[in-house]
This record gives sequence, C-alpha cells and structure tokens, in this order.
Amino acid sequence: MFYHDNEAFENPDYHYSETLEIDRSRERNSSFHQNLHDSSLDDDSLYDSYEGRSGRGQRNQDYPLAIPMASMQPGFQYSYSTSRSAMQHNTNPYGNPHTNPSFEYEPELAYTSPSFHAADGPYVRRSSDMSDGGSFSQRYNRRQADLVYRMPSSLLRLDSNAETYNEDKHKQEEKLIKNLASMSSRERIKAIQKTPKTMKEKRDIRNKVLMEKTKKSASYHTQINCCTQCLYKTALSYQQFKNGLSECWHLLQFWQKTLKVIGGKFGTSVLSYFVFLKWLLTFNIFSFLVNFSFITIPQLIVSGPNNLSFNGLELLSGAGYFKKTVLYYGFYTNSTITKTENNSSYNMRLAYIFTIGIYFIICFFSLVYSMAKSFRKNFINPHTYSGSAAKLLCIWDFNITNEKAVKLKQSNLSTQIKESLSEVTLEVLNLSLKQRIARIAVHLVVWVASLGIAAACCAGVYFLSRNNLQFLEGKKSELENEAATLVLPIVVSLLNLLVPFCFALFGLLEKFQYPRHQLYVTVIRNIFLKISIIGILCYYWLNDVATLEKECWESLVGQDIYRLIVIDFIFCLFGSFFGEFVRRIIGTKCCKKLGVPEFDIARNVLDLIYTQTLAWIGIFFAPLMPAVQIISFFIIFYVKKVSLMRNCQPPRKVWRASQMTTLFIFLLFFPSFTGVLAVMAVTIWRRMPSNQCGPFQGLTSIIDAVSGWIHILDSYSGSKWVVWIYRNLIGSVHFFFILTVIVLMITYLYWQIIEGRKIMVRLLHEQIINEGKDKMFLLNKLSALQTSKLGPPKGEQQERSSSLYQPSRQAALQMTASLERPFGRNGRDFYAESFSAGIPEKTGLSPADSEGHRPAISETLALALRARQQAEWEMQDDDDKDFRP
Amino acid sequence: MGNKQTIFTPEQLDAYQDCTFFTRKEILRLFYRYRDLAPQLVPLSYINKPDVKLPYELIGSMAELKDNPFRQRIAEVFSEDGEGNMTLDDFLDMFSVLSEMAPRDLKAYYAFKIYDFNNDDYICKSDLEKTVNKLTRNELTPEEVSLVCDKVIDEADQDNDGKLSVEDFQHMIVRAPDFLSTFHIRI
Repeated sequence: MFYHDNEAFENPDYHYSETLEIDRSRERNSSFHQNLHDSSLDDDSLYDSYEGRSGRGQRNQDYPLAIPMASMQPGFQYSYSTSRSAMQHNTNPYGNPHTNPSFEYEPELAYTSPSFHAADGPYVRRSSDMSDGGSFSQRYNRRQADLVYRMPSSLLRLDSNAETYNEDKHKQEEKLIKNLASMSSRERIKAIQKTPKTMKEKRDIRNKVLMEKTKKSASYHTQINCCTQCLYKTALSYQQFKNGLSECWHLLQFWQKTLKVIGGKFGTSVLSYFVFLKWLLTFNIFSFLVNFSFITIPQLIVSGPNNLSFNGLELLSGAGYFKKTVLYYGFYTNSTITKTENNSSYNMRLAYIFTIGIYFIICFFSLVYSMAKSFRKNFINPHTYSGSAAKLLCIWDFNITNEKAVKLKQSNLSTQIKESLSEVTLEVLNLSLKQRIARIAVHLVVWVASLGIAAACCAGVYFLSRNNLQFLEGKKSELENEAATLVLPIVVSLLNLLVPFCFALFGLLEKFQYPRHQLYVTVIRNIFLKISIIGILCYYWLNDVATLEKECWESLVGQDIYRLIVIDFIFCLFGSFFGEFVRRIIGTKCCKKLGVPEFDIARNVLDLIYTQTLAWIGIFFAPLMPAVQIISFFIIFYVKKVSLMRNCQPPRKVWRASQMTTLFIFLLFFPSFTGVLAVMAVTIWRRMPSNQCGPFQGLTSIIDAVSGWIHILDSYSGSKWVVWIYRNLIGSVHFFFILTVIVLMITYLYWQIIEGRKIMVRLLHEQIINEGKDKMFLLNKLSALQTSKLGPPKGEQQERSSSLYQPSRQAALQMTASLERPFGRNGRDFYAESFSAGIPEKTGLSPADSEGHRPAISETLALALRARQQAEWEMQDDDDKDFRP
Repeated sequence: MGNKQTIFTPEQLDAYQDCTFFTRKEILRLFYRYRDLAPQLVPLSYINKPDVKLPYELIGSMAELKDNPFRQRIAEVFSEDGEGNMTLDDFLDMFSVLSEMAPRDLKAYYAFKIYDFNNDDYICKSDLEKTVNKLTRNELTPEEVSLVCDKVIDEADQDNDGKLSVEDFQHMIVRAPDFLSTFHIRI
C-alpha cells in the first residue's frame, strides 16, 4: 500500500515540474481556443461558457498586459521554477535558472495566467493533483515534509521556497476572486458551480468574492447616488422573484418520482419514451390553456343551454350531445360578444383565427428550438461515433437502482461485449458481387412491398371513407349511423396496429448488417404509413367532406378526428393488454422460449407522434381537442407504466436514447407538424367555411375575416402600421420571397462553415496522430540512447523494479512521456492560436511545428538531451528515494 | 422536523445554492436524505457547522447507490478524505455533479476520476480491466477482457501513450451523446 501511494505520488512529481504545470494550463487554453471556433459545437462545455464569458472579451485586451507582467513577475516565477527543480534534485547541476529546462516556459506562464485567469488555475492544478483528492496546500505540505526528509541540506532554501509558493497561490486565488467579482452574479454562480472542487473550497471562494463585492460596493455607494442603489435593489428583488419562480417550476415537475422508478428499473432508454410522453403532455396542456382561455371562455359566456340528450355512446362517437357543445367548431358564434355597457367587445372570428394562428406559430418555434437543442446536444459529431471505447466507458446507466435491473444490465453488457468481439472477426468477411446484388435486390423488393402495402392501405381507407359518407347520407336510425361512423376509425387503428408487424417481419427477411439500420428503416416505413394514412384522410376531409354542402362540415371533420383519437387510444390500451400482458403470460407459462416481452420503444413513440398529428389537425375543427388528448395521454402514461412494470423487460440491445429522441422530435416536426401546417393553410385560404354554423359563416374563405378586419382598420389613422404590416409583410409575396432567399443564404453559409470545420477537424486529427508518431520515434531514440550510453547499473535497476513495481524502461517511457507532453500540446495550440487573431507565438517549441509538423533535427536533439538530463536526475532522485524507509 | 430556518441559516442556504445545481427545496430534501442515513449521528441543525462524517458503509447503502457497481469509487471520489466517508458538503457535491443540470465537462471530469481506480491521472489498462469486470460481473474470460481493453485504448487514445488521459476521455465523451443522460442519478 505504501508503494502504491508512493508511486501515485511520484508521477505527480513530474506534474509538479514547471513544464507540466504550464502544459496543463496551456491545454485548457487550447480547448478554449478551439472553442472559439467551435463554440456552437460545444456550447455547454465548461470552458466555452466559462471562459467564453469572462475570457473572450478580456483575452485580447490582456495581451498587451501579458508582456509587462512577464517582465514584472520573473522574480517570483523564476524562484518558483528554481525551487521546483531544486526541490526535486538538490544535487542537480542544472538547478540554476539559466539552464533550467523549465525556464524558457516562463513567459508563457505569465502570459497564460492573466488571460486564462486564475479561475482555471485551481482547476488545472486540481486535475494535476487528482492523485490525492486533498487540497493543494495539504499536498504541498506533504511534499514539503517529504522533501525535507530527503534533503536536509536544502532545508533553508525550502523555507523560502515554500513562502514564494504560498505567495503564488495567494496571488492566483486573488486573481480568481477578482475575476469572479467582476462577473455578474448569475455568471459568477454558474462559474462557481462548474468548478470541480470540493464544497468547502467553492464556498471559500464564494465568500471571498462576496466580501470583495461588498467592499467594492460599499465604497461605491458612498460616492454614487441612491439611483444605483435603487437599481441594485430591484435587481435583487428580481433575483429573489426568479428564485421563487424556479422553485414553483420545480413543483410543477410532476411524475418526478415515477420517472425515477422507471429509470431505476429500466434504464434511460425506456425512460426516454416516458419523457417524450410527458413533453407532449405539457405541450397539450399549454394548447388547452390557450384555446380554453381565448376561445372557449368567451363562448361559454354567451352560449345558451344544450337541449340534446346524453346517452354515453357519444363519448365514443363524439356526435350527438357533443355537437352542441364548445368541443366543436360549429358551436362557436360569429358575432361580436359585448357584455359590458362601455362598448368593449370581443370579436369571436378574430379571436378564433388569431388564437389558433399564434398557437401554431408558438408550436413551430418551440419545436424548432427543441429540435435544434437536441441536435446540438446529441449530434455534435455523429460521424466519428466510435464503437467500443465510448460504449464501454459511457454505457453504465447510473440511473439504474434496482438490483435485478443491475444484474440484467450486466449480463446484457457481457453478451454485447462478446458479440462485438465476435463481430471483429465477422466484419472482415467481404461479400461477393453476387451476394451483394442479391442483398440489394432483397432490399428493393421489400421496399417496394412496404410502399405498396402503405399505398394499398391508403386507397382502402379512402374508398371506405367515401362509401361510409354515402352510407350516412341514406336515412338510417341514429344508432346505425353512429355505429357506421365508428367503422372508419376502427379500420384505421387496425391498420396502424397490424401493418407495423408486417414491416417487422420484413426486417427479419432483410438481415441488415447493423441492427441500427434495421431500426431506422423500420421507423421510416412506419412513419410513412402513418403519415400517408393521415394525408389521405385529410384529402378526404378537404376534398369530399368540405364540398358536401352539408350543414356543418367542420364539425363533421372534428367528429371524425375525435373518433380517430379515441379509438386509437382504446387500441393502445388493448395493445398493451394483449401485446404485453397476454404475451407475458404466454412467454412465462406456455412457451418459455419466448420469455418476457421487451418494451418496444420505437413503436410506442410512433403511436404518440401519430395521435399528436391528429390532435394538431383537430385543433381547428375542435378547439378543445387538446383536452381529450391530455386525458388520453394521462391514462396512457399510467397504463404503460403499470404494463411496463408488470410485463416487460428492458430492451436488450443498446438503444441510443438521445439520438433516437432527436430523431423523434425531428419526425414530429417534419412530416407531422409541417403537414399539419399545410392542411391548415388549405383550410384557411382555399376552403369555403360552412354557411350555417361556426364563427366564419357567410364568408367565402376563412382568411377573409382577417382581410375584412384590416379593411376596417384602414379607416382608423392610429392603426395604420398594422395595415402596413399586413399588406407589405404578411400579405405580400415579395416579402416571403426575400425571406426565403435570406434563409437559404444563411443556410448555405452555415453549411460552408460546417464543411470548413470538418476539414479543420480532420487536419487537427492528423496533427495529433503525427505528434503521436513523433513521440514514438523520440521514445525509441531515447531508449536506444539510454541502453547504449548510460546503461544503468543492474543492481539499481532491480531495486527500482522491486520498489516501484515497474520495469525501469517503463519508468523511462513514462518520464519521457511527461516530458513530451508539452510538445504535443504546443502543436495543437499552434493551430488554434494561428487562427485566433494572429496572436504572436510565444512557445519555445512551436517553431518546429510551423516547419511542417515535424520538429527540426536540432530541436529533436535538444529535446532528447533534455530528456536525458531529466532521466539522470530522475535516477538520482530514485537513489534518494531508496534511502527512505 | 425543524423548518429550514433551524437547519441552515439563510446564508448557509445561499452558499449551498451558489455552489451546487440545486434549489433550496432540493438542498433541504437532500439534507433529509442524508440525515435519514443516520438520524442519531446527524444533528437537525447545521447552524454551528458540526463536523459530521458518515462512513462509507452508510453512504453505500443508499437506494440510489447500493446496487451501483461503481458505488465505492463514487463515494471515494467525492469524499474529501478519499475513503468514502462523506460530510454533508461532499454529499451535496456528489449529487450536484450527478444531477441533470451539471454540464458535460464537469460530469466528464468526475467520470474520469471514477474510472481511474488507481488515482494516477490516467485510465490505464488495469483501470479498464477493473471497469469491465464491474460492468459485466466477471462474466468474461481474462482474454476477452484484455482484448476489449486493448480495443478501447486503441480507439480512444489520441496521443498514443497507451493510456487515456482526461483529454482523451473528454474527447470520447463528446462523441457519446448518451453520456449526459446516463451519468445522472435522479434524487
């Protein structure tokens, strides 16, 4: 144990040498530079947001400062570096500053620290002393004690060293605190939260910063009038208000516990379905609130009593009693509602169209926003997704807290690893031309078949719906009519349930090389089927029902959608009963081979997307559709949860939860929401609203309500700007043309930027590989040199290997590796720096890089020599160590 | 149960709020979770800053951690003494990093520490072997384990030094989008 500790202790010895310290900070710096270019790629990274905020502005300004600082500080820097080397190698002849290898880095330290802030200094430091989790000062003390023991002769020197060192530490901390104090409070909190330190240290920093602030503000306040004080107070109260609000928001996060249980038992993948469901639910709650408050409440004020009877079947068919309620479009009045005497009125027509229009606009932006966020988070670099490394180290799902689930996950993981190991040999296998053609042919055939099935389904649905319409025309009894209306939704739901199974069978036929491809293909086929069924239904509604000249076609469409949603909901319940419950009974009782069913995330999510699309279409024809949707989602959540807990097991295959979530949000946006927008546009601009009912009766098209209003507004001089906006922006083709051109241009620009970055990434990657090669080359050279020239005594070597449990060669490698590191980093930095504002080079080694990625020979030699010296010291160091108990 | 005025002073709560990703409510909830582990050890008031440390055995028995194969590492990494004995500060720190709000780099930094079993600043092969064994409950043969580890190092090691540094690890994390959602413990 002692040796273990000792070893962990020794490596950092190198970290302690000035080189590495700088190297570390430079690394951070380099990441900062890269972030400057890639800020959109990694926006939430610590360094970007942290340094970006505080450092970006200051950085360039700091450059002029940097040099004076370097010239001012050498005393302390210098003694610092000497002390380091002296501490480590008291017999070191190079201990004097002029030949100290770390000496030439010195300006760099000065140059990095001010711009780079001490804020990161501790971070860096901490990352370099990860080996003992304690604070740096503790560590330092330990070191010091150690060293004192080792080198009694240098006691005196050490004392002064310790002082300078402490000074340095103080300075760094002061800088950090100053930096933090200059930030706004929100940024400061964020920065503190993000520092990887223990709570005590964080709190210390925070308290010091606050003290600094109050000190400052106290002197400030005496000078400046009460106005700023007032501002400060409002800012403070705003902060408090916001805190309160965020706490309220946390209260609203319902189902937190349920989600935790699900995550604990089934992992993140299944959880993603429930999170998606919750997200949709909040979406619907929002739309319900909007519709209810702006459309329904005013209508409820004026509406008369409903004299239709209610017999229960309406819940299923949506007709009958519901026809004369606020549920449907037909019930809303076209009049202006005036309740009070003082002439304030509420125009129902405008309210209806504006509420729904604005709702869709909000939906559009929130979808785009969440899509973009999800993309940014999850597809930062999708092409280079590497297999096993990330898989292994990122795969453990810390959410899982259930013992059984943990065991299951572990055994799944071990089978996966075994599979991937066997795949290594399989992948080499190349398909012959014939096999490849056969494979492509199979894919083609299956695609044609699935598209054919989808087309056939659509045609079937269309003819069925037309026939149904004709059937309803004939005079039948009420019950018969209602039963007939249920045929169409039942058929549609059946198709939605059964055809995906068919597609799954196709998937078995196709034998994809990667399971991922199969998943994507199945998802695409299913969404194609669902969307085309909805599309054909929309065609039927807008083309057949709307031209029927019946009393109220909008309400008829609303009823159809209501039925579709309700029947689909019932099928969903049946699906989880038969598909999961009965399947589990069969799997556990009759046919043991089948086992417990897995929870099919893709199918379930697609079902959700399908119903959400319907609900969006329905929102115009039945403004309270979101309420129906809320109830159904609520019940689905619980049913699915219970069914999952009782019947299912987590999916065995890796499910890339976040990438799939992105895909699903995208699907929700692209065919689904955009399709809904198209349907809405046709309804509003091209279809004639029915004559006897609804808010738009008597108009030739719904948009006329708006243009009529604009016409009225035209006569008021005070609202000319509204008219102008309408005429020139919303109503004009030119505006949209220009807008499209601008959007296209921006898209093109971003595309080009992305292309450029890809090249950049490739170059940098090559650079890293080159550096690695250089390093290997140097290492080989070095070890050759070592064996030929130095030839360390045998006895000592044995001692070493016994005391440090590593062969000396490895030690040498390690040591040189630590020496080499700054070199590699410099290369990276050079690239980053040359791109950022032409900052002059200050690294000692990078000229070598500028001469085409390979160090000049003299540089190499110098480096090798230096490494040799280092090795010599290292050996002496070891000698010292061997004297220790 | 005392109300929050008697557990922490407002300043203490503010400090906690500024240093973690939690709201007051969550901090109090976490305090109760902490206290529930050992009601006789943890006082109901932290105003006098009592020096209380719960031993690893208690921390490791929490429902959130008790089945996690890495529980000991987690406790060691986040505890100040490095042995898994946690003060309330350490406890809050741990769940703050593992919370949803923590940024990717912070999470990656601590994940690296968790997987770095021998605390040498690098994930070397022996660390990886330990990780694999923990992940698979020793179901793989030693050859398979070493094959997997070689593959991982081969893939993720950018600078060819045969082990993974923090930078290698972070680089890899960037390419694993699920990491953010999986390195997360709901409280």
